[in-house]
Amino acid sequence: MKVMERSASDNQYLHKDFHGALAYAICYLDRRYGEQGIREYLEQTAINAYKPLIEAVRKDGLAAIESHFKKIFEIEGGKFKLTNEGDYLTLTVSECPAVCHLKKTNQLYSDKFCLTTVVVNETVCRLAGIETDCQYNTEKGCCEQRFWRAI
Amino acid sequence: MISCTEFIPAYSELFKFLESKGGKQAVVDFWENLSDTFLGNLRELAAEKGLAGCFEYWSRTLSEEAADFKMTLDEENEIFTIDMKHCPSKGRLLEYTYLKPYPNYCEHCDLLYRRVLEPLGFECDVDLSNCDKAACKLTVKRKKPN
Repeated sequence: MKVMERSASDNQYLHKDFHGALAYAICYLDRRYGEQGIREYLEQTAINAYKPLIEAVRKDGLAAIESHFKKIFEIEGGKFKLTNEGDYLTLTVSECPAVCHLKKTNQLYSDKFCLTTVVVNETVCRLAGIETDCQYNTEKGCCEQRFWRAI
Repeated sequence: MISCTEFIPAYSELFKFLESKGGKQAVVDFWENLSDTFLGNLRELAAEKGLAGCFEYWSRTLSEEAADFKMTLDEENEIFTIDMKHCPSKGRLLEYTYLKPYPNYCEHCDLLYRRVLEPLGFECDVDLSNCDKAACKLTVKRKKPN
């Protein structure tokens, strides 16, 4: 008889295969509903699942975005740099932990995977009065995300 | 990037989105597709090592998910069980009061794993009667020849 018993506090919550499931879902949505379907899904996700972040950005502006990305990229062990110039915040990702994991584990993904960043950022920022843009290279796993207060 | 630590709400939203497009069948179609193409590592381990492969597969995934569970492999009687005391995924969905989870969220585990394991000669039972408390039980047995 072999037994394994664990409680939640025994391990860190970090199951990187979830990146694979999300990448798979994006490919699936693309096949079934096209890019518009992917965008609709991600917009819905941003509105419903990122409600606390939207509220934090409304309240604290760019500082809330900076704090959010610092937290998740540190947890995931990404290579990144955050530059806060007061009115502008730039997140430069030189090694995206999600793309890195997808490549390492030979998961199915396409360049539309980065829409998960683009559309979630756009939606969260639109609802919080912030402007954003994102230049990305999925294959290289790098991007530059910029945020500034809407005039 | 949607962090893997933020995936579960995004997954629940995916099921809601698919259902809004094509009803429950659209969700089931996705689950079947995902099971057939994404769970290759479980399929390979179970095919190669039987119930010990199941134990190996879930040892890693449930630890990475920081689940609260007891997993038992009884090789003599050919029974493998996972007693999920607190599912980290459903637990999060219940905890996030700002989010309305997909109502049939827990059904995906039943369909995904059953679809991998039954064709390999196992019987698979998932008791979801306590899933509103983020608890469930998976039992996998070697199918007895008739």
